[in-house]
Amino acid sequence: MERFLVDGFKPQQLSTFALTLYKYTATVDGKTILVDFWDTAGQERFQSMHASYYHKAHACIMVFDVQRKVTYKNLSNWYKELREFRPQIPCIVVANKIDADVKATQKSFNFPRKLNLPLYFVSAADGTNVVKLFSDAIKLAVAYKRNSEDFMDEVLKELENFELETKEEDSPAEETSQGEPVCLSPGNG
Amino acid sequence: MSYVAQKCGVQLQPPSIVLIYEDRSKNNVRKRIMPIRNFSKFSDCSRAAEQLKNNPRHKTYLEGVSLEQLKRLHHLLRCHLQGQTLSQSLKQVEQKEIIDPEEDLNKLNDEELGQRKRIMDELFEKNRKRKDDPDFIYNVEVEFPQDKELEACEWDTETDDEF
Repeated sequence: MERFLVDGFKPQQLSTFALTLYKYTATVDGKTILVDFWDTAGQERFQSMHASYYHKAHACIMVFDVQRKVTYKNLSNWYKELREFRPQIPCIVVANKIDADVKATQKSFNFPRKLNLPLYFVSAADGTNVVKLFSDAIKLAVAYKRNSEDFMDEVLKELENFELETKEEDSPAEETSQGEPVCLSPGNG
Repeated sequence: MSYVAQKCGVQLQPPSIVLIYEDRSKNNVRKRIMPIRNFSKFSDCSRAAEQLKNNPRHKTYLEGVSLEQLKRLHHLLRCHLQGQTLSQSLKQVEQKEIIDPEEDLNKLNDEELGQRKRIMDELFEKNRKRKDDPDFIYNVEVEFPQDKELEACEWDTETDDEF
């Protein structure tokens, strides 16, 4: 996260250390986008927080450590949980620490392949593919948000028509979303 | 700084940290023995190492010695006080420096997790490119094609159908 932001990152950390928040301004198709990155902690004592990790997320980056098998094996659990809360958002899988084991980049990994998820080989230490990863994640998040808003607009229009017909007075509340939360699986895997 | 650390080790009796350093201003190499007081087999090695590193009398000499190394040396001392042989102690200290790839760090408490993170950070810092480095490039893109014939990752082979 900090390798992507380099300058001027000012993370906010929850007092419980369950979440570290980073704000970022991106430009996608000439438009300025405010991005919220949520770097989430995976420790079991934060289990009860998980629902909020996924809340309003528009993309998810799940990271494993190429030196630690358990982080790779845990991906399927994280993915299952993600899909319970956010069935449709784009999800990217990251193989991190390729500086420590470059041979990993010559291997095929079943988990992303079977689920048809993009896989990025990254080194947070030397910077390999870090910027590409986050730029692509932001683009995916923006595209998802745009499409889901189109969908919501249609639903709202339908509801309005429905209300006119039934002469209900309450108008449906519009969901206001700030930025594009992109949720990250914890570094601990 | 005119004191340049060359070697840092431990003396078991009396318990001390020993530093070989070069005094650049006098152009000679000297040995400094720093006794470790109030240290028992129950002591906290991290805290003792920090105390030594920040000790007003020693800190200028220890600038070039990492806190991690001082912790390891204190750990050796503690193992000795617990009655272990030197080879047992060295083995134990070495094991603390290795991350078990099967260990789920999400199941550890904060202190244990912090200790594993420090070990991982050493490698991170070693391989780290900083933005002040002359050859720093912000956007480093390397393609690793996944479509060609690749060796299957051995982590997948055992239970292939789980995903």
